[in-house]
Formats: sequence, structure tokens, C-alpha cells
Amino acid sequence: MEIEREAIRGDFKSELIPKETGGEIDDYEGALHVLMKFVGSMSTALEQVSGRGANAIVYQAGKRMGHEAGKLMEKTDDLEKAMNKLSEILGIEFYFEMWKPASQDGYTIEKGDETVVKLLFMDCVVRQTLRRTGLPQKGPLCYILYGYMIGAVEEVMSIKGKLDIDHVGPNACLKTLTVKWGAK
Amino acid sequence: MVEINVDEDACVGCGSCVEDCPNEVYELDKEHRKIVVVKETDCMACLSCHEICPSQALEHRDIHVAKRLYIDRKVNKAISKII
Repeated sequence: MEIEREAIRGDFKSELIPKETGGEIDDYEGALHVLMKFVGSMSTALEQVSGRGANAIVYQAGKRMGHEAGKLMEKTDDLEKAMNKLSEILGIEFYFEMWKPASQDGYTIEKGDETVVKLLFMDCVVRQTLRRTGLPQKGPLCYILYGYMIGAVEEVMSIKGKLDIDHVGPNACLKTLTVKWGAK
Repeated sequence: MVEINVDEDACVGCGSCVEDCPNEVYELDKEHRKIVVVKETDCMACLSCHEICPSQALEHRDIHVAKRLYIDRKVNKAISKII
């Protein structure tokens, strides 16, 4: 099969990138698909080489991203406020909301020195990548969000936390964030 | 608010959605071998039930439909001409 390629001709100065190189929407789509395949392959390879250690590696990568995102936010002790703000920052790539069953009054539950909140992740590039590459959910790549949330919570609230995956689905995933007050 | 419709003609009463749903939204009516929606308000629209249902008997209305950028637009366009 012959593939048609259109060469881009133009002038180039180091400080001025020709706008033609920005590409069309189809180019972005192609690049996104390649990137998804690449990340999927990386995840599989990581798991093959490091076993469960892959989760820790991806977690650490996510945590770093979370700390970076947390720096954009105002520090607060209010978990709900922090979650709402973080949802804005994570944007459409990881769109999430706090979730509660209809019978529960508030989003947060106090358990001794811990506060628990359920988070419903709707739009998620990790899920899309896993589906694109035919990988199961709850694998190492899902640990990027675990790390991300913990990193952000550490940065914004200066406390430790953990994120457990309750349920994964094709349209949304439910996770439980537990923060431990007093643990720095 | 989420609205769940079950196509009773299509539902085979296998109970897969009952087992899969983490929020116990469905119950199996053993007498009629059909699924009944009992806790619609607790549905978080994960759509696991859609994926597991062998007869595609479920429909969710008024939910946040997650972006599916992994779908190839060219393939999608071709399919939309057929369906």
C-alpha cells in the first residue's frame, strides 16, 4: 500500500517555528493514537520487567505530576474545596467529581483521624489508552492517578493520603480517597 | 438525574448486571426472569452493566458520556454510514 505524504516546505529560523508545522486535526489524531499505543506498550513492558514494581514506578510518576498541579492551587484544610479545585485543574483529561450514594448526607465521612471521600472519574486519558491498546483496567497505568491525587493532596493540604480503586467501568471509575490528619 | 430503561423483550434475566453493579442498582425478578431497577439514584453511570449485558437490554439517559478519543474518527465515519 502506498502512503501519501505531503512535504511541508518553508523557511525556518530557530526562534520562529513555521505555523504549517502545527498540523491539522488528523495529524493530532494520528499522533494521539501512536502515543496511546506507545504508552500501552510501555505499561506492558514495565509489568513484564518489574512485575508489581511497575505500579510503584507509575505511582511515583503520577505523584510528581500531582505535586506540580498542587503548586497551582491555594493551600487549604478543606478537603471538599481542595477536590473541587483539583477537578478544575485536572480538566477534561481527568474529569472527576465527588460522589456519594443517595442515602449518604455529605460527600465526606469522618473515621477517627481519617476523612474519606469517594471520587468518580469520568473522562480519563488512562482509560482511553487502555481501551485503545486492549489492556485491562486497574493495571499499572491506573496508578498514575493514584500518585497524582496523593501528590496534589500532599502539596495542597500537607497531609498523607491513599487512593483505592473501588470499581472500574467503561464510562467511569469510582475511587476512594482517604486522608489521614496529622500525618505529614 | 439518571434514567435507566430495561428492554424487557431483550433481557434474558442472566443477572450479570446485578452481580457487576457495585451500587446494587439492579435486582433480579426471579419469577419473571427479568431485571428490575431498584436504586436508580445510586447509579454512577460507569456503564459496566452495558459492557456485561449479553443482550444489550439497557439504556441510560441523561448521563455524562465520557470522551472516547481512542475511537478512530475515519472508522467511526464509515460505520455511521452503515448504521
